[in-house]
Formats: sequence, C-alpha cells, structure tokens
Amino acid sequence: MAGQARYLDPAIVARLGTIDLKARTIVEGFLTGLHRSPFKGFSVEFAEYRQYLPGDDLATLDWKIYARSDRHVVKKFEEETNLECHILLDVSRSMGYGSPGVTKLQYASYLAGALAYLMNRQRDAVGLLTFDERIRDLLPCSARPGHLKSVLLALERVTLGAKTDVARPLGDLVQGIRKRGLVVLVSDLLDEPEPVIEGLKHFRYRGTDVIVFQVLDRDELEFPFDRAARFRDVETDDEVVAVPGAVREAYQARINELIAHYRTVLGQNGIDYCLLNTSQPLEVGLLSYLQTRKKAF
Amino acid sequence: MFGLSFLSPWYLLGALAVAVPIALHLFRRRTETVVDFPAVRLLVKSPVEQRRRRRLRELVLLALRVSALVLLAVAFARPYVAGRMLAADTPVTVVAVDTSFSLSNADVFARARARAEEAVRRAPPAHAVALVAFDETASTIVEPTTDRGAAVAAVGGLAPGASGTRYLAALARAVEIIGARAGRVTIVSDFQQGGWEGAAHASLPDDIELELVSVDGPLQNVAVLSIERREGRVVAGVHNFGLEPRAVPVSLSVDGRVVETLRLDLAAQSAAHVAFEAVVPASGTASIALEDAGGYAADDVRYLVLDPAPAARIAVVVADPSALRGGLYVERALGAADEGREFSVTVVDGRALSAWNASEMARHQALVVLGTRTLERGGRELIAGFLASGGSMLLALGPDVDPGTLPDVLGEAPAVGPDARSLDGGAATLVVGDTRHPVFRPFTQPTAALGDVSFQRFRPIEERGRTVLARFAGGAAALLEQMRPQGRLLFFTSDLDNQWNRFPLSPAFVPFIVETARYLTDGSRARTSWVLPATPSGLPPTPGVFTIDGTSGAAPGGGRRVAVNVDTRESNPAPMSREAFLEHVPRVPRSVTADPEADARKAEGEQRLWQLGLLVMFLALAGEALVGRRAS
Repeated sequence: MAGQARYLDPAIVARLGTIDLKARTIVEGFLTGLHRSPFKGFSVEFAEYRQYLPGDDLATLDWKIYARSDRHVVKKFEEETNLECHILLDVSRSMGYGSPGVTKLQYASYLAGALAYLMNRQRDAVGLLTFDERIRDLLPCSARPGHLKSVLLALERVTLGAKTDVARPLGDLVQGIRKRGLVVLVSDLLDEPEPVIEGLKHFRYRGTDVIVFQVLDRDELEFPFDRAARFRDVETDDEVVAVPGAVREAYQARINELIAHYRTVLGQNGIDYCLLNTSQPLEVGLLSYLQTRKKAF
Repeated sequence: MFGLSFLSPWYLLGALAVAVPIALHLFRRRTETVVDFPAVRLLVKSPVEQRRRRRLRELVLLALRVSALVLLAVAFARPYVAGRMLAADTPVTVVAVDTSFSLSNADVFARARARAEEAVRRAPPAHAVALVAFDETASTIVEPTTDRGAAVAAVGGLAPGASGTRYLAALARAVEIIGARAGRVTIVSDFQQGGWEGAAHASLPDDIELELVSVDGPLQNVAVLSIERREGRVVAGVHNFGLEPRAVPVSLSVDGRVVETLRLDLAAQSAAHVAFEAVVPASGTASIALEDAGGYAADDVRYLVLDPAPAARIAVVVADPSALRGGLYVERALGAADEGREFSVTVVDGRALSAWNASEMARHQALVVLGTRTLERGGRELIAGFLASGGSMLLALGPDVDPGTLPDVLGEAPAVGPDARSLDGGAATLVVGDTRHPVFRPFTQPTAALGDVSFQRFRPIEERGRTVLARFAGGAAALLEQMRPQGRLLFFTSDLDNQWNRFPLSPAFVPFIVETARYLTDGSRARTSWVLPATPSGLPPTPGVFTIDGTSGAAPGGGRRVAVNVDTRESNPAPMSREAFLEHVPRVPRSVTADPEADARKAEGEQRLWQLGLLVMFLALAGEALVGRRAS
C-alpha cells in the first residue's frame, strides 16, 4: 500500500511526465490501494466484443482486431452510464500559489486529470471547464475514450488566468446542463462565498450532484510566516504589511471561519465539500469523488 | 543680522550624514520582503499595520533620524543667535547703580532709580545700554541692548541690599561689558569714601567716558559697629559718623526680648562702647539696636550668637613641662582668646605625646610645637601622620627643638640649620612681609606693630618652597608658611618661650599667637558670626540670626545658630568729591582691540544653544526608539 500511496503524493506526481501518465499513475495507484476499501470490486470492466453494426460509434471500433483479423468488432463494457460529469477547474491567478513542491493549480490539475481518467474508465461522460473571472476553456462532456486525451491535453496546457469570479462561470454553465449529472468544482474559493454558494445551489435545484474541492496551500491554512513582510495579493496586487506573529491568530480564525462556512452551508444544500491541502495525497480527493458518485447511484 | 551663526561652521558638513538614514530608508524599502499571497483579503481586516500607516511611520522615523543627525551637527557647530549680540562697533553705555545699604532709605533709592532711568534715556542714541547693579559685587542686570525700554524697566526692578559698596567691582564689570567698543560708564551712587578700599584703584581705558551721577544720601549716621560678650555681659561699639552730636537710645535684646535700654550721648564723629548691665544667658541670641531715624537702617542693629562655640583643641608640645619655659606663654596667650572659650589648650611633653594614639591626636585641630627633644619615635611619627592627614602646626625652632628630629616630625627634611645664630647687631626687630596675611590682621594699625619686639637668636631655614611672611630686620626669615595640600604649616625661626627673645612679654605676643592659632584652626572650627556679603551656604544675604546645618547644635531643633551682620565699612556716609573719586580711576591706554571672534565665542558661551540642540537630539532619538519599537 505504501508503495502505491507514494504515487499519490502530489510532489512525486508532479515529477512524472505528461498529465496522462500522472492521471494513470494516480488512478491505478489509487485503485490498487482500494483492495481493502469499501469500494472493493467497483470498477468499469471490459465485457465483450461484438460485431460492428451500422450506427455504432466508430470510436468504439477495435482497430487492433481489425488489423489482425480484418474484422470490424466493437468493445462492450459492463457498465455504461449516461452520467455527465463536469469538472470545473479554477485557473485564476491565486491558484498559481504554492509552497515549494506543487502549486494549487498543479494539484488541482492532477486531481482533475485523475478524476477524468477515473470517470472515463467508468464510461462516464466527462467534460472540463476552466475559468477565472470568465470561462477560459470548455470541453463538453463525452464518454468517448479519445475524449480523455482531449481533457488531459487541456489540463496539460492550462495556464493561469486573472482574477477569480466563481459565480459567473457557474451561472453560465448551469444553463447548459440538461441531463442528470455531476459537477465537480475544483477551486481555492478565495472569493466572496455567498455568490459561489448561490451558483452551486442552482445546480442542486436542477438535480445535479455537486462536489466542491477547495484546494488550499498549507501556507494559506496555517500562515506559518515568521518575519514581517509585505503581503501582496496575487490577483489584486493589494499589499498589506503584517507581522505574522501578531496577525496569525486572527488570520487562522478567518480562514477557518470561511472553510466552516462553506462546509456548513454547502452541506445544508446537499453539496459535498472537501477541503484539500496541497500537501495531502490526491487519494483524499478521489475518495470524496467516489463517495459522491456512489451516493448518486 | 538676527540669524543663527556658528562658531565652527565646518561641523555642519556632518549634517551630510543624513544621507545615511535616507539611503537606508530607501534601500530598506526596496529590499523589504514581499510575499505573494492569495488570501490577503483575509489579512486586511486583521489587526495589522496598513501600508499607508506604515509608510507614514517610516517617514516619521526617517524625519526623527535625520533631525537627530542634523541637530548633532548643529550642536558641534556651536550655534549662537547673532542678533542677540551687538555689532562689534556698537558703543555701549553702562549704567551702574549702587544697591548698597547706604541707599536703603526708600526716598533715597527712589531718587537713585530716577537718576538711573534718566541716565538710560540720556545715553547717546547710537549707544546700546547695559545695566549693572553693584554693592560688594557687581551683577549684570541687562546685557547691552538697544531696547531702552527694557533697561528702564529693569531699573524699576532694582532694590537695595545689605552689603557695602565696591566701586572697583562696578567699574571692572563695566569695562568687561564694554570690551573693545567705545563706551561710557555712568555710576549712580552716593559716592561714599568707603567704597574704595584704601588705595585701591580701577583702571579705565582712556576712551571710555566716565559719568558720575550722585544721589544725595544722609550725611549723618549712627551705627552699631560691634557686639561681643564680656564676662557674661554684652558690650557694643557704637559710632556716630555725623558732624553733629547725637543722643540715641540703644537697646539690648536677648532671644528677641528687650532686656535693657540705655541712652547714649555721642559726640560728632566719635565712637563709644556701651556696656549693658544685664547678664546674658550662656546660650541664645542677643542683638543691639539703636534708633537712628536719619541714618542707615541696616547698621542700626547687630546680632550675636550666645551659644558656646566649641573650642578649638590645640596641643602645645614642649620638651619639658616642668620647666619654667614649658609652653606657659603660649598657653596663657591662647587662654586669653574670647575669655578662654575659643581654644582648649593641652600642654604635653614629648614623652607623653609619644604615648598618644592617632585618634587622640586627631581630636586636636592644631599643634604648636615648641620642643622636640623628648619626642620618641612614636611621637614623631604621630605628628607626621597628623600633618599628613591635614592637621595644622606651628613649629617654633627654639632651643628645645632638635633639628635632627625634624625629618621624622615633618615627614620631610626641613633644611633647618643645626645651630642657632645670633642676629646681626645682636638683636633685630620683626618686619612683616605680607600685611594681608591673616596672622598679621591685628598689626595693620601702627599702634600694634610687631616692630617693637627685638629678637636675639634664630635658626636659619631653607626658604625655597616656603613663603616668607615676616623677616628679621637683617633679612633672615622669621615666619614662613609651607604650602600643603591640606592643613597649614608655619615655621617661626626663633623662640616663643621667652628664651631667645622677649617676644612673649610684648603686647604683640598675645594677638600674634591668637591670630596664628585662629589661622591654623580656620576651616576646622564652626563660625558663629558672618559679615555680609559672606554668608554660610544656603543663607540669604540679609542680616539676622539663622539656624543652619546639623542636628547637634544649641539651637531649638538641633541646628547651629549663626549671626549675619552688615559690613560696617559702609556705615560712614562721608561722601567723596568727583575729583577724589577720579583719582581712584586712572586712565590707561586701551589694550583691548575688537575681536569679533571673541565676541562670538562669548555670545555662544552665554547662549549655550548647543546644549539645547543636544537635548532635542536626545528627545528625537528617544522618539525614534519608541516609534521604531512599535514598527518592529
């Protein structure tokens, strides 16, 4: 278990090659570690081949068999769902912050990639939306195996945006969702909480399950600085000179108050909330996702 | 003209050091740690220092640091306000007003003030005016100024004191104020003859005009010149300085209560002693007061402290007390002082003294050594230790002194001849070398001259390192004083025991011995009587009886009572003519030339702005420390 768990360490994952490899490593390592978990046996298993029939999605053709046997066959899987899973990834400038090792955006990307990999493996349709104060990139949901590469490629190329405005892309997205689905919001949520919560509520009103991953750096949670410094907001460039020893307690109270507020209000609205510390293994996020997915079915 | 000037302006270059804190300030601003942080929004409402406030604080800190450096440089540059200093060529009129007690009558002093105000207003228009008040000493009331209103106002604030007049002090101060400028000195006084001490004179540069403004004072005055206790009764000396006979009532008061009043008839310009019948107590205070409506009030009363003063202990060291010459004359002479209360005399021979210990020796204020032949080593060392610890001694080099013992006794070789010598011609009189020396105070009058005494033998002594106070007529040293860091050491080169001369049998012997003993014990005895302007520390310069230091005195409450009286040299109202006055003021060529730098130094020294600068600098540093601590 320990051998696999190390692949879930964000710092180690960051040193891996492409996000494809990262996602694969995370998920495989995670699933391997689940042997004794409550999710034992849960997976998306290959079932059988069958003869291609006109109308089948050409993407399901097994080209390797065609090359070997000159026969057109399509792959069938045990579970096929029509769940649409939308991953909303915050790429605002604040997500670029990170103590040595991994930034919040990297951590969030790995998480999003792993989730996409996992979803794709389960035949869930997965889409990706990156945003800052507006939608930066949008990949519609799809369950096609090739779609995963598009998602992972999009994650690979993600760049930091500008200011955060979570509520606005949420409002844009909620209009486009017509099917039962799942929305995964990955953000640091360092924004005014009420508009964010209001935006997420609308998904719930439409029967969409929502899971919120609030990704924060250890520095943001603990404020471990020890020397007086000028703290500059990475998004607004506002500066505050502070003596950490003097303000740490007040800051921790405020960040904990913000977290507690999200946790409480989101919970009251049936929205799963998971606080992720970038120094924690990615396994925590995947477990939360699976719990939510299990709840959805 | 009225700006700030500097004695050492080059030190102002030190102010360039302000570049250091400014550079540090800017440098520090550039290198201040900047931390990019996403959750600054959560810090804003925390109790942290806002950037604007911090910037303001940094500016305050910078200002304080720069101020401190600038003030330091300014302080070293020795600033002064040139505007408060007259130009070097501005002539000055110094108005010196007599505030002695001879002008204490209200009407008289009002006239003196009026004359002084007039003198201020009358000063030439181009002149600055300075105001000096003088009695025994001179004080500058108003420095040279062109503001004559201020000078006139200061004249209104003058008041007569209780001291005598010394024109010398007034003229010296006036010359000092005028310095190298042209000027005029106006003296407003009653011009008593007593204002000049003997042949004293004050040199005045020949280009300084001297104006004498006379204030008419009383021409008659009756004064109490002395008060003393004799055989339990009080005797007063009263003098009529007027040109007409006077009959004045004289009262004796004891502890503030009048106990006896006599009527005294005094001829013109005559003195009399008044012996009161009343027996005064052994302790307390007494005063003699007379009624003299037309004269000076300050000398109409004189005070005496009756409290027994602790007698000064004097040991007379002789070779053999059983002999006729065993210190008898010295002992008797000292016993005559203040009816035996002034000195407590112990006659001791060398052997007995050798058995003393240091504490017993230390109880004596002075030694009179007439013989050393019987002194053992312990005794010699005891005397040497006594001298080394600040004790005083009169050593008479008579026949009982063994010169070989003196190095041990004195702690040094006194270079005394081993054998006595006869004076040239077989005998010689004593010639006083320095009549101002306290030992010769009674001999300033010709009637009490030491010259009537003839001496036959003496011991020669090395004069180098000693001051010869008196010589024998042939030139040999008779009385010498050796300077010492503490205590006094006198050598009398002949005998004081009626062996080599008949000095002990002469009228001059007792005052000589008494004054010598007083000189030796002066400073180690508590005085009970003071004459203005001298007073014990902390007492006002006014006549009366005061209680001073200590808790072991006879006065109620444990203090020690002292009597302070006026100087009766001021009591003689006899005026002097302008010509007589001017004889005391010889004109001399001006030796002082204008020295602007000296004037600047003087102005800077008087203003001492550098001290203010340093004080403000320290305050700035303290403020910087406080603000800096809050910012860290």
